[in-house]
Formats: sequence, C-alpha cells, structure tokens
Amino acid sequence: MSVTRLTFFISVLFLPGASEAISLMGASANRISTTFQFSSFDSLGQYVSDTTPEIQELEEVVVMDQAEMIRREESNSIQMVRQNFIRENRSGSLMKSLERIPGISMIGIGSGASKPLIRGLGFNQVMVVENGIKHEGQQWGADHGLEVDQFAADQIMIIKGPASFKYGSDAIGGVIDIREKLPPSEDGIGGSIELGARSNNAWFGGSANLFYRKNNWFAEGRLTMADYGDFKVPTDSVFVYDFGVALHEGQVRNSAGNELDFSGRVGYLGKNFRNTLRVSRVSTKAGFFANAHGLEPRQVDTELHDRSSRDILLPFQEVTHTKVINKSSYVAGNNFFQLDLGYQRNDRKEWSQYVNHGYMPAIYPSEMLYPSDLERAFDKEVFSVNLKDELFLDSHELAFGASGEYQHNDIGGWGFLIPAFQQYSYGFYVLDKFKLTPLWQLTAALRYDHSQIHVEEYQDWFPSVEDASQANADDYLYRAVDFQREFNSLVWSVGVNYTPGDLILKGNLGTSFRMPIAKELAANGVNYHYFRYERGNADLNPEQSLQLDLGAELKKEKWLLSFSPFINYFSNYIYLNPTAEMDVLYGAGNQVFNYTEAEVLRYGAELSVLHQLTEQLSFEFLGEFVYSEQMSGDKQGFTLPFSPPPSGIINATYKPLSKGGFSNPYFAVDFRMTAEQANIVPPETVTPGYQLVNLRAGSGISLLGQEIQVDAQVQNLFNTRYLNHTSFYRLINLPEAGRNITLSLNYNF
Amino acid sequence: MKNYIIVLLAVSVLTACGEDEKPAIDLEYPEIIATANSFPIQCSVVERGETMQFRASFSDNVELGSYSLDIHHNFDHHTHSTEVNDCESDPVKAAVNPMLFIQTYTIPTGLTEYEAEAEIDIPSGIDPGDYHFLIRVTDKEGWQTLQGISIKIL
Repeated sequence: MSVTRLTFFISVLFLPGASEAISLMGASANRISTTFQFSSFDSLGQYVSDTTPEIQELEEVVVMDQAEMIRREESNSIQMVRQNFIRENRSGSLMKSLERIPGISMIGIGSGASKPLIRGLGFNQVMVVENGIKHEGQQWGADHGLEVDQFAADQIMIIKGPASFKYGSDAIGGVIDIREKLPPSEDGIGGSIELGARSNNAWFGGSANLFYRKNNWFAEGRLTMADYGDFKVPTDSVFVYDFGVALHEGQVRNSAGNELDFSGRVGYLGKNFRNTLRVSRVSTKAGFFANAHGLEPRQVDTELHDRSSRDILLPFQEVTHTKVINKSSYVAGNNFFQLDLGYQRNDRKEWSQYVNHGYMPAIYPSEMLYPSDLERAFDKEVFSVNLKDELFLDSHELAFGASGEYQHNDIGGWGFLIPAFQQYSYGFYVLDKFKLTPLWQLTAALRYDHSQIHVEEYQDWFPSVEDASQANADDYLYRAVDFQREFNSLVWSVGVNYTPGDLILKGNLGTSFRMPIAKELAANGVNYHYFRYERGNADLNPEQSLQLDLGAELKKEKWLLSFSPFINYFSNYIYLNPTAEMDVLYGAGNQVFNYTEAEVLRYGAELSVLHQLTEQLSFEFLGEFVYSEQMSGDKQGFTLPFSPPPSGIINATYKPLSKGGFSNPYFAVDFRMTAEQANIVPPETVTPGYQLVNLRAGSGISLLGQEIQVDAQVQNLFNTRYLNHTSFYRLINLPEAGRNITLSLNYNF
Repeated sequence: MKNYIIVLLAVSVLTACGEDEKPAIDLEYPEIIATANSFPIQCSVVERGETMQFRASFSDNVELGSYSLDIHHNFDHHTHSTEVNDCESDPVKAAVNPMLFIQTYTIPTGLTEYEAEAEIDIPSGIDPGDYHFLIRVTDKEGWQTLQGISIKIL
C-alpha cells in the first residue's frame, strides 16, 4: 500500500490538475478500502461546499472527500473548513466567519477584529498557524484581533483539543491551521476578484488575486482592501458601568476602521523538489468605542465623533503584521522532507489621549520619548524554523520533526502592561501512525521542548507619590526586574481509529503544555481597560493538561451524525485571580489580580446531525457545550473566564437544481439558540440567553458567458438586542451588532 | 449498535461528571449604599485647606474585602463617573497643580456590613475645579464595585 500512498501523495502535491486527481483517487481509495493515506491537507478538493462531510455519487462510486480522510486518519477531533464555507459565512473578520462551527466561539472587539476560542480556551492557549508557521501577534490581549487576511485563507483545519505533540507550546487548547490556495495547476494566467458590502457598518471591501504559471514556475499576488464605519447596535443608549451613554443612531461611537493587505508568492514546482516564497502584510486601523476606552468610562466630544460615522479618532489601534515564509519540500524514495522558514513582525500601536491615571503627572512632560497620544506600543519580531521528515513504510507512517523559534519583543508608549522580553524555544517530536488492520489504526507521539525567556527591567517614567516635587529616586518604581526562566517539557499522545464502513470511531489521550508568557510572569501594572492591577508571578510553572477526546461519526443513507465529547484535566492552569486586596503603590488604588496556578476540570461535547430529507432539502443541527470548573485555589468551584454558554443551531438548506443561468443555487436558514451563561467568575456578570435568525443565499450566475458567484446573508434578521458572553465589550453591556445584510460577488478568470 | 453504546457511554460519563455536588459559590457584588450620612455624594463641594470627612456604607452577602479612594482632577472633562453627570462643571482648563489622592483601606475580616470613614486633607495650594472621587470596594471573592462621583473643590 505504501507505494500507492506515496504515489498519490506526490501526484496531489506535484502534478498539474491536482484537484481532478483527488476525486479520481478518492474514488479508488474508497474501493481499495481506507488504507489510503494523505498526510498533508494542502490539496483538499474544492467540490465540497460545507464544513459537514458530504456524500457524492459519482458513477455509483461513493467518493470520500479529503476532509473525511483526515478525520478518519487523525485521532484528534478535527474540523475542516473550506473556502466555500468561509465565503458563504463571510463576516467582518475570519474568526467571526467560523463562529458557526460547533466548539468555536470568539472574543469580538468591534466589527473588524476577533480572536478565536476553542471549547472556551483562547488567547495563548489556541495556536493559529498560517501557511505552516505559527502566527505570533499580541494574542494575550482581549482587545487584540488576529492579523490575518480572510480573503487569502483557502482552507482551515481546526483541531479542537490539545495538539502540543505536533505544534508545540500554546496548542494546549487547540489549533487553527490556515492555508492559502494551491498553486495554479495549469500553465497560464488567471485570477479572481471578490467584492463585498455590508449594511450594518457600511463596510465596503474586496480582494483581487492574480496568478501565473509557466512549466514549473508560478507567481501569485493578492490585494485586499476594506473600509467600514461605526457598527450599529439595536439600542440608543448603553451604560458604561452605571454611566449612561447615548448612542447617535445606534452607532458604537468611533468603531470604524480599515484594512489594507497584500501578499505575493513565487514558487518552483519540480518533480521531487518544490519551493515557495511568500511575503505578506496585513495592516489594520480600528477605533475603540470612544465612550469606553477599554472599559474605562469616558466623556467625549460627541459632536466631534458623531460628525462622521466613518472617521477614526482617538482612541484607536493600528497594527501592521509582516511575514516572509519560505516553504521547501523534497521527495526522496519514501521520504518526504519539509522545511519551513519564517520571519514575522507585529508592529502594534494603541493611540489614546493622555490621561493621568494613578500617580502619572497631570501634564504630560514634553521631554518624553513618545508622543502624548501613544499609550502603548508593541513591536515583536519572530524567526521560526520547522523541519519535518515523513517516512512512508508498509504499515507505518513515521514523522520526525524539529522546530525552533526566536522572539524579540519591544514596548513603547506612556502606558505599561508588559515588559520587553526575548525568548527562544526548540523542540523535537516523533509520530507514528500504525495501520494495524485495514480498519484499525494506532497513533503515538512523543515530543520534547525547551524554552527560555529573558524579561527586561522596566522603570516608571513618573514617581509614585502624591506630590511629585518631593519625589526621590526610589519613587520611580521598577515594574519589572531583569530575569530569566527556562522550561522543559515532555508530552505524549496516543490515539486509536476504528473505521468500519460507514462509521468512524476514534479516541485520543494525550498531554499538552504551555509555557507561561511574559504577561503571566512579569505583568506589574494597572490595566486601565479593566481598572485592575495585574501582578505576574515569575515562579509560575508551565500549564499542563491531560485530555481524552472521543469521536464518533456515522454516515447512513440520508443521515450524518457526528459526536465529539471530551474530558480535560489541567493539573496546572494559569489563572488571573481577582483578590480582595487593593494596592496603592504599584496598583494606584486598584484591585489586585494575581496570576496564580489552579487545577481545572473541563468537559464538553459537540454534536452535529445532518438529515438529507430530499435531494434538495436538508436539515441540520449543530450543538456545543462546555463546562469548566476550578478544582483548587482561591476560586475553587468557579468556572474560567470567557466560558461560552451552551448553544445550538438548527439549519434548513434548500438547494434547487441548477436552472437557466443559475448554477448551484442555495438558500439556508440558521436559527441560533444560545443559553444563559450563569456560570461566571469575577468580574463577569450573568449573560442572558438569546435567539437569532440568520439567512444565507447564493448562486453562480452566468453573465455574458462568464460565471459570477453571488452570495448574500442577513445576519440577525430581527435586529435582536443581545449580549455575547465572550465579547470584549460584554462587561460594559454593549449589545452585539444589529441586523446586517451582506452581499458578495466573486468572479474567477 | 456498538457505536450507539459508545456514544451512550460517553454521554453517561459526561453527565455523571455534571452531577457532582458543587460547593456554593458567591456570585454577588459588594454594594455601596447611599445613606443620609454618605459623603461626598454627586456634586458635593469641598474647600481647599479643610479636612474632608469621607463616609460610606458598604455591604456584601458573604464578606467584605477592602476599599480604596481616589481623587483626581477632571479639568479636561474625561470621566469615571458612574452617576449621570448633571453637576455644573467649570470650563475645560489645563491642570497646573491639581490635587491627587490615592489611598487603600482594609476592612476588618468577617464583616458583611461596614461603615467606612476616612479623613482626607485637602491641601490649600492645589488647583480648584472639578474633581473625581472614585470609590472601589471589593468582597472576599474578588468582586469589585466601583463608584465615581463628581465633586468640586473651591
């Protein structure tokens, strides 16, 4: 079998016309049972249009799609998302578009930025990988979005659960692995244009892509632009704490923004060797809700702000994320070598009028290094290398890998949250997939990691005394002292897959880890987003988790069922614990929040049921549930922050036959029910449940011999006023966006 | 059938976990209760050179934690006010030597109600004008209630 596997593997990766090869190979693969292996998901077929697996009849042969193969072969809980799903569910940000997937929620900040939560874990507990390299932004901040061009994302693999053995630290809660389009398969020039508009925040944007291939060489470029105004909520006033704020025409004052991204790649596709170099830049600028910078209530010049819903005034954030990634691969015998090299820079600035918090002087000193409106700046540079060899043997598929990373982090601005730091890490792993019988597969993995962090000292630029004229040198506080920490970690994972016919059963048991980040080790300042004094702990141990994942999937006639429960125990979870204490010297009178360690138990499940009633009509239920509880420490019995409430989606999809100039039309209704979240922890408040109705429709339309794909959505059809428990602005009771009608046009040439 | 059995097993394992007896946890914020004695209140006026008597009444369902007081200028009309700001404010002006006061206070352990009192000296050399008086109170579990009051110093 190994020869067939590798041959297929190579044919998919290296030959022109790869997508046709997939469907053919897919067909025969099912005939020759499921020993067929596909270990890179680079080449997923494009003919399946949803996250749910589909059954396609092709000359009476059931074709198994790539996503299903991956789910059959991997013992983790994996969800594949295709371009079509992203397009049909397109939202203001990529993560928002993925919210429909069971087990996925997000922390939204405004309409253009969001960060993922997988089964309730997020921030540095979820790793985002883009084109093989770990995405490194400032993911520790709740108000920081994810700097990814959503139009460049072609396929996304979501691992719901720990995957440290393969991805290293930070993959303790899950992985979002984003891949771009395959290289063009045939010689020539082509491209695509996508244009869109959204009613709620008057969003206009689009993306254009051009590619060229000649023999073994190809080049591609993409440009994405978006510009949007303040988003609207179905209310005319909100209460920031108890302070009433009137909203002009329901607009969230100053939440406008814009985005400009470009990327280019050039590659060589040889018989055994291939190399792709990709350069990309994502630049965003987005305003913060002016009446609440972070969550601090502020009085603002409403007349100035309400003059235009499209201008971006203070406070706002500006981020530029640059990446250079080189991917090489080489096939030699039954070895497949891959080398990924990456450089990225995340340049983030948070602009805000100077406000003398705590002991800061009333007047901003003119001799300061930074302009008075630069509150915070973060400048991160990351160098990464991943090396992997996959070895295809008769019944084994072995993978050996090594990875290394170096980070350099600078800070700036008059505000202080985390100190500057440098860190490096390296790790090695080995993974074996053992095909016991055609129906049984075992997977085992072992990984070792080492990392070191060097935190730089930070001294306040102002004295912490009430009368600055009496200050002496000691009053200029050291917020951070210079220190180093080293961490070592060994994790393992074992999995089993049993795939008789229409059924997939799998189980995976494994440990995972996460190195503490600079914020957890060395935060020592007031976070005026929340009025809290956050105090790091330089002695924290790495997070450790043990998780059991089970998965069952049954495909029978017109039914498709999938159920994925998990149970997870953290012997060490790093938790920001709100205490009863107040601190005057370092905390300027604010409540002390300490980074501490706690044991945590979590469990939950996702369920999806698809019933194909007739050839045109299908019904689907998607449900998710997660429960977390702290088992030790000060907050024993409490949940974890940002715990998503149970929720479900009932969907009906009607796909009439292609007729006239319309091809593959679809109409879909989603009824989303979200339960109340009463499982809370300070400083959260109980979030009531809500129901939403979303509509989607689209079709390919032939115009003058050309086909244009048109997709439309109505999100929040009834303009329901609701709060999202995991939204950044939840604590100030800001409702989520009201009704939003979106339209997008897509043309490929 | 095997798959159904496994699914059922998984469900029962999960529900079994959910039936554990949970210790009662405190989900209530402490309260700052306005009484006839409370000072300052919204729009209170104090004078430079005098000693201000702070008085407030705190309560919590389980146990109070601590509190802090903060006075800072509001000449530029930024606001921490948690009360609708209907006091008459002076025109926006630049600060020269504004008053700054930050202090934390402990509350004796085991109390669910506490009458807080503190004396605050208002220096005579400071800028008069609009100020914010911020009260933060915590309970033992770490719930925090914050109240911002607009005051004027003459």
